[in-house]
Amino acid sequence: MNLRDPESMNVVIGKVLRYGVILSGAIILLGAIGLVTTNGLSDASGMLTYNPNAVPHDNLDVSLSGLVHGLVTFSAFSWIELGVIVLIATPVSRVVISVLLFAAERDRLYVLITAVVLALLLFSMLVTPFIPGFHS
Amino acid sequence: MFIVEFVLLMFLISIFAGIFGSIVGLGGGIVIIPVLTILMGVDIHFAIGASIVAIIGTSSGAASTYVRDRVTNLRIGMFLELASASGAITGAAIAAYTNSAALETIFGSILLITLVPMVMKIGEDIPKSPELKGASKRLGLTGSYTELDGREVKYNATRPVEGLAGTAVAGVLSGLLGIGGGAFKVLSMDLAMKLPMKVSTTTSNFMIGVTAAASAGIYFARGDVDPLIVAPVALGILIGAAIGARVLLRSRNTTVRKIFAVVLAIAAVQMILSAVGVPV
Repeated sequence: MNLRDPESMNVVIGKVLRYGVILSGAIILLGAIGLVTTNGLSDASGMLTYNPNAVPHDNLDVSLSGLVHGLVTFSAFSWIELGVIVLIATPVSRVVISVLLFAAERDRLYVLITAVVLALLLFSMLVTPFIPGFHS
Repeated sequence: MFIVEFVLLMFLISIFAGIFGSIVGLGGGIVIIPVLTILMGVDIHFAIGASIVAIIGTSSGAASTYVRDRVTNLRIGMFLELASASGAITGAAIAAYTNSAALETIFGSILLITLVPMVMKIGEDIPKSPELKGASKRLGLTGSYTELDGREVKYNATRPVEGLAGTAVAGVLSGLLGIGGGAFKVLSMDLAMKLPMKVSTTTSNFMIGVTAAASAGIYFARGDVDPLIVAPVALGILIGAAIGARVLLRSRNTTVRKIFAVVLAIAAVQMILSAVGVPV
């Protein structure tokens, strides 16, 4: 595939999105099967209670160590969480790939535009949750 | 309700949400939020967290097809993402100082007003394309796609600044409320930039994933993304988006515009109901 050919950008971006979606869907499906086979006949309301006084509000450990621990102990919730993280990462990787593809096309204006979008996106995802006063 | 029942029910409803969300370019949240809050009695925060995941799923799931088939305009999408991403950060920054009920009333009313030009254009198949000039030309905001009958439709974008401004509003709303961005993106491309309807909805569909991802971090960290809810929602949405993308590619612009007008009316009413305290 010739990356200098503008047509190939559609093919590459389409594939990045497709693989991201298939991977996250497969992981979430595994978690969902695990959840239904182990807890399927429990009452759902217990797991749907929003607790405004605790963060995280669903009382599940969303920290990295909590996630890793859940994954190695085959917690269905942690595997679903991992699948969701992969799903959230697909549009981000699409922007990263776009920067590279515009660079291969030698389209400086769009390298700049997509790089700024990527910077804004990463700032919003990773930095603003820790800035006091944001999102309140 | 047993977990297995909840999972199956949400899975089926989310397929439906994914089909419509991917055709109109709004994502599946518009269906997911009221179903969760009103039918399932789930807290609005969990519903918005699920909606964010549903929007990303609709976006990536359908865009993989739209981008491959060149209906989505990548350059217009990336250019407008400048505005939606900055808007989302601005929305997050000013959230503490705003009254969300007032905002929902204002923006819900704006959506209702936009129904007028939308209905007036209801029979429009392919807009008369303006000459490519000025900023649109320098930014390469032009493209073409293949219509159902096999002819190549060429189009040029006009008024990129107005398009950018409308998309910034979409971003602010997403950052503030977690909802409502897609409608303003489609309207910006349709009413300001004069793109063919399918290009507008599929390019919006392409962009909403990035806007939602921009706010996903905070919802995830807060624990608003509940695994029991998002697992069936994400799986259903991905299947629905794949179906919806195939439906759109076989539909005429006029059909897509009619579906969009109906969904736009629903979105406007939802926003105004939310302002008066109904958790939708």
